[in-house]
Amino acid sequence: MKYFAGIDVGSTAIKVAMVNEDGQVAGVHVTPSGSLFHRNSLEALNALLGKLGLQREQVSYLIATGYGRKLFKEADDSISEITANAIGAFEAGKAFGGVRTIINIGGQDSKAIQIDDSGNVTNFVMNDKCAAGTGRFLDVAARNLELDLEELGDFHFMGSQAPLNINSTCTVFAESEIIGLLAKGHGKSEIIAGIHYSIASRTVRLAKRVGIEGRVYFDGGPALNKGLVAAIQDELGRELVIPAHPQTTTAFGAAMLARSEFFAGQSLEIA
Amino acid sequence: MENNGKVIPIHAEPYGRSRQAGEAQDVLSHLVEDFEDNPASMQYFYDLFRRVYCHGEEVPHRGMLVGTTCIQAPEELIYAFGATPMRLCNGSYHYDQKGADFMPSKSCSLVKATLGMLSAETQIPKVGKPDMIVNPTTCDQKKKSSAMIGGMGYKVYDLEFPNVKESEASRVYWQRSVRQFAAELRTLTGRKLTRKNLKAAMEKTGRAQAAFRTLHNFRRKSPSLLLGKDAFLVTNAYFFDDIERWTLAVEKLNEELAQREKAGFKAVQSKAPRVLFTGSPPIFPNLKLPLLIEEAGGVVVADETCSANRMLYDMTAVDEWLVNDMVDSLADKYLKPCTCPIFTKNEDRKRRLLALMRDFNADGVVYQAFAGCQVYEMEYRSVAEEFNRMGIPMLYVETDYSPDDKGQLSTRIEAFLESLKNRKKQRA
Repeated sequence: MKYFAGIDVGSTAIKVAMVNEDGQVAGVHVTPSGSLFHRNSLEALNALLGKLGLQREQVSYLIATGYGRKLFKEADDSISEITANAIGAFEAGKAFGGVRTIINIGGQDSKAIQIDDSGNVTNFVMNDKCAAGTGRFLDVAARNLELDLEELGDFHFMGSQAPLNINSTCTVFAESEIIGLLAKGHGKSEIIAGIHYSIASRTVRLAKRVGIEGRVYFDGGPALNKGLVAAIQDELGRELVIPAHPQTTTAFGAAMLARSEFFAGQSLEIA
Repeated sequence: MENNGKVIPIHAEPYGRSRQAGEAQDVLSHLVEDFEDNPASMQYFYDLFRRVYCHGEEVPHRGMLVGTTCIQAPEELIYAFGATPMRLCNGSYHYDQKGADFMPSKSCSLVKATLGMLSAETQIPKVGKPDMIVNPTTCDQKKKSSAMIGGMGYKVYDLEFPNVKESEASRVYWQRSVRQFAAELRTLTGRKLTRKNLKAAMEKTGRAQAAFRTLHNFRRKSPSLLLGKDAFLVTNAYFFDDIERWTLAVEKLNEELAQREKAGFKAVQSKAPRVLFTGSPPIFPNLKLPLLIEEAGGVVVADETCSANRMLYDMTAVDEWLVNDMVDSLADKYLKPCTCPIFTKNEDRKRRLLALMRDFNADGVVYQAFAGCQVYEMEYRSVAEEFNRMGIPMLYVETDYSPDDKGQLSTRIEAFLESLKNRKKQRA
């Protein structure tokens, strides 16, 4: 059996996905990027190989993506995270009856991608220069509230009052708003719901710029946050498709591409 | 020892050490050294930019020097009065920051950089003090910059330009405006405008335009013979270089491209996505976007911008019995083919873009809008609608002269090129 890997070297986390000849996911692995991108990428790949009991030689083709893609020279090829994300979401979305719009929130950016029925990128937008309303924003907010990042999702639903207004998605200004709200004695849940809505409305604005069509697929680390998912759904007024592994969609896309590029090189018919 | 403190006076850095020269040096070495197989005859342009932008060589001119802030100032008239036109539009990020003293920080980088350059002690390029600066009243920001340039001690002439292209009233208004400009040049230079001088001036610019057009047509070839970054450098040189020297250098480049074609040379991989560039003009050293496109494996095959195609594409070949009629026809030539977004309606721009797409076999369009360049930002919508209808993919990039967004832009551009490649593959 041949295996194909995609490695997504992101700003916050390194994600590795492995698929087999039939395009089935063999396994995924996520680890923080840290400061030594290259070393950590190699370690992440080896960790997944170890987990699956595979040898490096069994990986026939490896494609790197994400901001650090150029730094990972061990890859056979590299591709932008937008294309990789589109492929990953297209493939993973088949199980849900197909998706046409993708919203991705990453550690330091957010993007909206529109794809056609065959999975080709037809349009995309990214947030502008700053990291407002991205995973980093949630990170900072959690720290202010003395919570773990993972706890934010549950807190979203625990409030008895309406979500509070957080005017700014700028991490720095929002931080002082959060501190101000805490000082006034507001509950954490209402603040957290407010944060989620603030990110949601910014994200939906971005998605509307690309044009929302068909089913909407939401991925990236923050898609693990149920509260944020609910807020985006509310702002969007549509259902969201959340995959089983939202963090690794892009790495999975790269792995699927690795598979098809490998077979295209072999000029074999692939299903 | 007691420290009494002291005041450090501001001193102008010599050319070689100024940040502007550093910026130019940076872009040039990237543009020259990071790409393989540069045409040998591009060396003339590389050297020219190095001399003028990095070593402070004065730009050559004969007779009086007339600075222009827009391509709508008829340069044939300036030549006809024995003066030399020089386009002042600037592309330096450091001048852009300086220019923020004059304009709101959110206004167009190009206008701010031009103001910054004109206000600087050591200008790059070194224009000294033009005898006159002619400022066509096109977009609002250029309009408002005129008084500021005047405030710096330059003699500024506002060349009145209409907002509507189609109307007869505009045409007559513009013809009168150009006649007025001719009268101003007569006062400035103390010379008379004759039919002979104007014809000679048109022949001079005509040769340059013919050379440009040949170059332009070489870029239709697929796979490409020349990269867009070099083509932009060539047209940028037209801003300040001696026109005859420039024409000879372009003709030499054309000969080399003809040889390249014969030898079956490829400047890029045969499947490299072919990009049509439109919107706010790339002006050296701000070749950020074209360079990012070509670094990512695309090739800019044509453009619809006022720093290249729009500046040189339409040849002036008017002939009338009387010099006054020639001036009127010249005015028409500057109004009618213009595809600048400052006009109320701009159907011609869409037509031009579609024609370029077809003739140059382009796969997609990159639309650059400088943040604060409102007319390009606003016109994006109607252009996008048209392209959408035609099924032509387009990437809209709002940016400015700052290098901050390069990382993000490179990802967006790569993704766009990948999607173009994919489309191509599926069509095949």
